[in-house]
Amino acid sequence: MTSSAKMTRRTILGATIASAAGFATPWSIRNAAAAEPIKIGAPLALTGPLGSVGQQLKRGCELWTKVQNAKGGLLGRPIQLLIEDTGGNPADAVRKAQEMVERDGCNIFTGITLSSEALAVVPKLDEWNAIFVSSDNGDGRLTAESFVPNFFRANISAPMGARAVSLFLRSAPYKNFYAIGMDYAWGRNSVSVFESEMKQAKKNFIGSVFSPIGTKDFSTYITKIRQSEADACYVTMAGDDYNAFLSQAAQYKLPEKVQLLSEVVDLTVPRAVGDAALGLISSMRYCFRVDNPKNKDFVAIWQKEYGAVPDNNEGEQWQALQILAAGIEKAKGTETKALRSALETVEIDDIKGHVAIRKCDHQGVQGGTIVKLVKAEGFTYPAPEIIATFPGDKTAPACNKMTFED
Amino acid sequence: MSLLSFFVTQSANALSQAALLFFLGVGLTLIFGIMRIVNFAHGTFYMLGAFIGYSAARLSGSFWLALALAPIAVGILGALFELGILRRLYRRDESAFLMVTFGLALVLTELIRLSWGPEALPVGPPTAFSGIVMLMGEPFPVYRLFLAGAGAVVALGIWQFLERTRLGLLIRATSQNAEMVHALGIDVNLVRSAVFGIGCGLAGAGGVLAAPLVTASIGMAATMIIDAFVIVIIGGMGSFPGSLLGAVLVAFVQVFGEYYVPDLALAFMYLVMLLVLVIRPGGLLGKEA
Repeated sequence: MTSSAKMTRRTILGATIASAAGFATPWSIRNAAAAEPIKIGAPLALTGPLGSVGQQLKRGCELWTKVQNAKGGLLGRPIQLLIEDTGGNPADAVRKAQEMVERDGCNIFTGITLSSEALAVVPKLDEWNAIFVSSDNGDGRLTAESFVPNFFRANISAPMGARAVSLFLRSAPYKNFYAIGMDYAWGRNSVSVFESEMKQAKKNFIGSVFSPIGTKDFSTYITKIRQSEADACYVTMAGDDYNAFLSQAAQYKLPEKVQLLSEVVDLTVPRAVGDAALGLISSMRYCFRVDNPKNKDFVAIWQKEYGAVPDNNEGEQWQALQILAAGIEKAKGTETKALRSALETVEIDDIKGHVAIRKCDHQGVQGGTIVKLVKAEGFTYPAPEIIATFPGDKTAPACNKMTFED
Repeated sequence: MSLLSFFVTQSANALSQAALLFFLGVGLTLIFGIMRIVNFAHGTFYMLGAFIGYSAARLSGSFWLALALAPIAVGILGALFELGILRRLYRRDESAFLMVTFGLALVLTELIRLSWGPEALPVGPPTAFSGIVMLMGEPFPVYRLFLAGAGAVVALGIWQFLERTRLGLLIRATSQNAEMVHALGIDVNLVRSAVFGIGCGLAGAGGVLAAPLVTASIGMAATMIIDAFVIVIIGGMGSFPGSLLGAVLVAFVQVFGEYYVPDLALAFMYLVMLLVLVIRPGGLLGKEA
């Protein structure tokens, strides 16, 4: 409640831009090719503290659409991307998605950025008769207690990321753990999974603390971590908050005393904080260093288009759209019911290797990757180096579960 | 960590945050005092300071040069905005200022996004201040001590400027009775431009100083401006010592509140504001409304 009050101005900004964009949409529809376009709705958090994540998803959507349309679209139909800014506000995410359904006749969504937004959207999917393929939402509840049949998760979830870190820690020397998370759905969920994992592994989990979205000063939180006497701290943050936390932690020389571990890290983080990110060990949902031919092609296309390597969420968005495309081809159309049953058994070998959607909770089962940020040739910022990988059957929880039995 | 060392280090933290809040709040309150307008673009000037600071530090290799240049650039831009646009609106009612400064915030934010890109950018603390000192046996970043010191020096400087200089006298006089000052043959418009420029320049300085803590990012304006408004309301709209008091109060409440009751971290600041509004609606040091 308080965080939404804090973002009011942003929300107005987002709404203004978005409504301006809305007026333009009917024209582009009229100008579309003769074949009925496949409309993919992306209500993204392009502004607000997690704006950098939304911007990544936008680039992922745009390049995929460009490449796919250059190949003749899907089933001979062009792909039309509908992008709007939600400002990271769940109520706006629902409103923007509803507009896309009612105004544009869109029945496919992707890219909804915050888990809190996704949790607000999924109860409406049945009423809208729409499919949502998540590319980014971490909250475990989306495939557990909040699961709805029209929701699919192509990305690695928070429990899966936390699990990869936990599997890595089983053979690492750290014994006492503390955790800090952003105070909203994803941060809370990820930390609770990590806590249960550490207890399972008979490690000493000392405690956790949550910082409100948009926190600027992390000194008290850093003090708490230091006071806890932990030798490692699990961090669930993203966007501006993550950058501020790492910058300030480095100024307090916290990493010299406590190993920072994280559920996920985007390249925007080391680019923004520089050497303050050195030594961070993290699970990464997509790492451009994955060694397979499809990924090499993808990285090359990406570098040609944007002049940089693809980032964490950019790869995840690409993979989500590849899964969606495989579903549409299998269903031979975009009719909701047919698409849903096709997506339920989709398997692809793509930029991250093998990914299989499982029918029971619509989670994409895929391998987990642990990276360490190190000084690397050709990079002006600390770059990820893959230090461990775990197969999908080890990192995915049981169907409709968020925690692990062993 | 002993209780005493905890209080000393956290107080030092609170003072460093108070300094950053003060840089924003003081400009906001001076502008309100003399022009009776709420500058919605103030947070954006703060953000602009951080981005100009990033580029200046990168090109020159010196944080200090960035700290000198960015506030001047932002201040000149603010003064030009007053000269070119706000000046035409003084005969209109207050909603016109609200719309125009809000619009400026949107335009400036998009211009920053277009010029520097959407990603956060690194600004390191100056090398001399990048280390830690032991404060009562606890490590403490030198840069934060520097922030607290810079805040104190600037507060003292502004106070002396308002009390001792002719422009300071005119600013105080204009905030009390602009028509009288005008009748005495002083160009009130010039005073207004100067105040708007100085206020924006201070916000720009705050942006450069905050950048090593939070990086230069598009989100920094939105998260800071609300705090600045709260400070001005707590201290009293238009009151210079009020903005200082408000900044220190909010920083201490946030730092200690966050530590003891982290779940209510965001609420504390608003609770203080609520309390002040109930007891003294004009703010702690403001004129009673």
